[in-house]
Amino acid sequence: MKNALILAGLLVFTSLAVFGQGYLEQPADALVIPIGVAGTVYEDMELGVRGGTITIANIEDPKGWNNHTAHETSTTWFTGRMHRGLVNLDHISGALVPDLAKSWEISEDSLVITFHLREGLMWSDGEPITADDVVFTYNDVILNEDVDTNARDGQLLPDDTYPVCEKVDTYTVTFTMSVIFRPALNSLSFNIMPKHALAQYVHKLNPEVPAGTFNETWTLDTPLDELVGNGPWIVSDYQPNVSVTMTRNPYYYAYDPAGTQLPYYDTIISAIVTNQDVSMLKFRNGETDVYGLRAEDIAILNSEAPAKGFSILITSDPGYGTTWFLINQDVGLAEGTDAEKRELYRNVKFREAMAHCIDKDTMINNVLNGLGGPQWSPVSVPSPFYAGRDYYGGPITENNAIIFEYDPAKAAGILDDLGVVDADGDGWRDLPSGAPLNLSIETNDNTTRSASCLILTDDWQSIGLNVTFQIVDFNTLVNNLFGSAGDLIYLGLTGGDEPNGGSNVYRSCGSLHAYRYSACDDPDDIDARVDELLALGANTFDLDAAFDYYTEYQQLLAAQLGYVYTVVQSFQYAYYDYVGNAFKASPTSTPGGNNGLLTELCFDKRLL
Amino acid sequence: MPHLALFFHKKAGMLTYIIRRTLYMLPLLLIVSLISFTLVKIMPGDFLTLARLDPQVTEETLQQQIERFGLDKPFLFQYWSWLKNILLHGDFGFSFVTKMPVYKTLFLGNKLQWTIFIALSTLILQYLFAIPIGIYSATHQYKPSDHIVTFFGFLGLSIPNFFFALVLLWILVVLFKVGNHGLSVGGVMDLKYYTMGWSWAKIVNIMWHMWPVWVVIGTSGMAGLIRLMRGNLLDTLSLPYVQTARAKGLTERVVVYKHAVRNAINPLVTILGLSLPNLVAGSIVTAIVLNLPTVGRSYFSALQRQDENVVMAGLLFFSLFLLLGNLLADFLLAWVDPRIRYD
Repeated sequence: MKNALILAGLLVFTSLAVFGQGYLEQPADALVIPIGVAGTVYEDMELGVRGGTITIANIEDPKGWNNHTAHETSTTWFTGRMHRGLVNLDHISGALVPDLAKSWEISEDSLVITFHLREGLMWSDGEPITADDVVFTYNDVILNEDVDTNARDGQLLPDDTYPVCEKVDTYTVTFTMSVIFRPALNSLSFNIMPKHALAQYVHKLNPEVPAGTFNETWTLDTPLDELVGNGPWIVSDYQPNVSVTMTRNPYYYAYDPAGTQLPYYDTIISAIVTNQDVSMLKFRNGETDVYGLRAEDIAILNSEAPAKGFSILITSDPGYGTTWFLINQDVGLAEGTDAEKRELYRNVKFREAMAHCIDKDTMINNVLNGLGGPQWSPVSVPSPFYAGRDYYGGPITENNAIIFEYDPAKAAGILDDLGVVDADGDGWRDLPSGAPLNLSIETNDNTTRSASCLILTDDWQSIGLNVTFQIVDFNTLVNNLFGSAGDLIYLGLTGGDEPNGGSNVYRSCGSLHAYRYSACDDPDDIDARVDELLALGANTFDLDAAFDYYTEYQQLLAAQLGYVYTVVQSFQYAYYDYVGNAFKASPTSTPGGNNGLLTELCFDKRLL
Repeated sequence: MPHLALFFHKKAGMLTYIIRRTLYMLPLLLIVSLISFTLVKIMPGDFLTLARLDPQVTEETLQQQIERFGLDKPFLFQYWSWLKNILLHGDFGFSFVTKMPVYKTLFLGNKLQWTIFIALSTLILQYLFAIPIGIYSATHQYKPSDHIVTFFGFLGLSIPNFFFALVLLWILVVLFKVGNHGLSVGGVMDLKYYTMGWSWAKIVNIMWHMWPVWVVIGTSGMAGLIRLMRGNLLDTLSLPYVQTARAKGLTERVVVYKHAVRNAINPLVTILGLSLPNLVAGSIVTAIVLNLPTVGRSYFSALQRQDENVVMAGLLFFSLFLLLGNLLADFLLAWVDPRIRYD
């Protein structure tokens, strides 16, 4: 404990020496987070004090320190805390809020967004943050073809052009779009990089370096004092396979209502612990302060919690992402075989019968230990556009849900009507022509998915469908997904707040429209309408109008049963009681998520 | 000066032997590299498989990446350009994941030093324990103590290493509650010592973190060594010259330690050379559980991401270790056993 304090003190001292002294007084334009202010989503949080170190565990090493060339969350966990963008998602509610930009306006024709930056702010090395940095990041990094970044695709407008970014003055930037595109506001939350530190590595601005140099900038072997950011933390130490230490950025511009500069903690130590069981042991041993637990850990931790002084937060809030199985409606198309089976799979009544056999309650109780919820929509539950709400951002009522209840008898009835009956008396249903019907479902060796598949297989077999279950290697599964080679595939996808983020999945010609790639040349009515709705939803800044479009969109897809959704895990979390404000952790703001509730708004209660 | 002549003859013979063996390694490494490259390429998927699953990523971006990493070139072309870079420029390529040169990715920080330290220290301790226990076992053949020793040896051998590691950590944390005394588990030292200079406290801390490593990795190999020592010694003790020694009136201790053990130990010396690569490459899963910063960890995460250049370099590294281990084994045997000549 004493040694930890000495180390923390040493790091703060070094950071001051390297980074600078920080603001002499709170900047006029500082971002004030309304901690403890009544009437806001932060009202039940406590004001904290500065100091101390929080230790957490991460599963993987970062792969670099460059936010925009990173392709893994193991890296962006750290780089996302070193940088901030014009806008951000609120720590608690997930709504879009001002961050580096203090305000913005949308023009009359909805094509131009003007951002006003906060004035007088500095990078972690004391250099001023201006519109030049925004323009540099957008034009010379993200849109630069030489740079290997995922961020570029996220900026694409529906007509395959990009917004045009221009500097108006030192603190004003505009983005001009060729079509009205509401999701652009979301994608303009990209992290801003320091021009004065990085321009020298971009060939476009500095012809002396070869093209692509930026891709090899700020790699793991870069001296850490070269890293510059505008986020709450800067990486100050890295021990490969062991730990990453981040120290408070003395020029971070968020404050609490009492005038204390955030974040409260002086340092975060992130221990790299690859094995989840060891991670739990370290939490129980008091080495880490928080732990993102699995359903199977609850029984053990519950019994120890009172004695050891930690609490377990169990919610029924599902997280982001979807879990589903698909029925391959293009089965045998490329080979020219299985025509009758393909026709059956394309019959929505058959898919409905399959959907009536999903025992979501058993999956939640047995596979997720009761910690999960049923899923019916392609949009993640935490999203304000989720159709289980009655209006944008409203509470969840499920009034608009399209549900296929668990009813094997009904499923059997549907199959009988379709002529899918046991013609040869072998106990298994056959195709209407009498030919045998064999189905196979496959997934990778993920315990949750495998267990769910077993339950599904069992239920389908009980109504006479000859389904076999197979576990295949993950890469093989993905190949089957893209090659339309599987029969039934059980998998999941990540999700976010913005329904348009799933356009590649649900557009008729989307690259992830894996349940029927042929829809690109031959869309049915629902496919065509879904394409229209995606464009309509993105084409307006009126959130309520967009919400209505997306509700119809979700209902159509749920009825179409292309991807058939099953269950999703809910959020649970464990923390020691001396970590102040940790009780507000949620899917929007987990330590593993990008909002970093824990790392900005939490504090050490023992210092009070 | 016949002895000196013999001495120099032997030394010269040893030198040519080493040179010859080293030269043999090169074609062997080449074949290993080709087989490894083939295996890596025929694995389903590639580095970009995960990227394909991201709904945001467009086809154009994927195609750009394919070209950037040269994944669309024919197989032999890719192998040949990889080989050419190594032979002509000593360049093992760069990692798709970290964008750093491969050797930096594999050996980042002090990984190489820790890998060698862990392997060597485990090896030495293994032998330090196995040989006396084997001798004891042989000299007390079939007594209860022999059976007990054998039992524990096989226990260490049969328990999977990663499971043993987890159980050991669990015992420390839950049963002995070491956290209450400020002791941490896993890794090679407490986090704070990495940035501090050397001190006695640091060395003691490293010992605290290393003993589970030595127990887990060491015991898995010890059973074999104990049985081997035991068997060899028993064989040696039944030879006629031992009977002669006893008849001459030498004490049992002198017979066993001065004469029998020295002859029985030869095969174990050979195995010493072979154990080294095993320890370097074989303890990856244990290293993951115990959080050890080793080269195997980088190799494993490269394998998971199909980071081809790193995987290839890692395989070559382990193969080199294996070949060096073999060379060391032969060399040690020849050094210890005067009957062996180098030609």
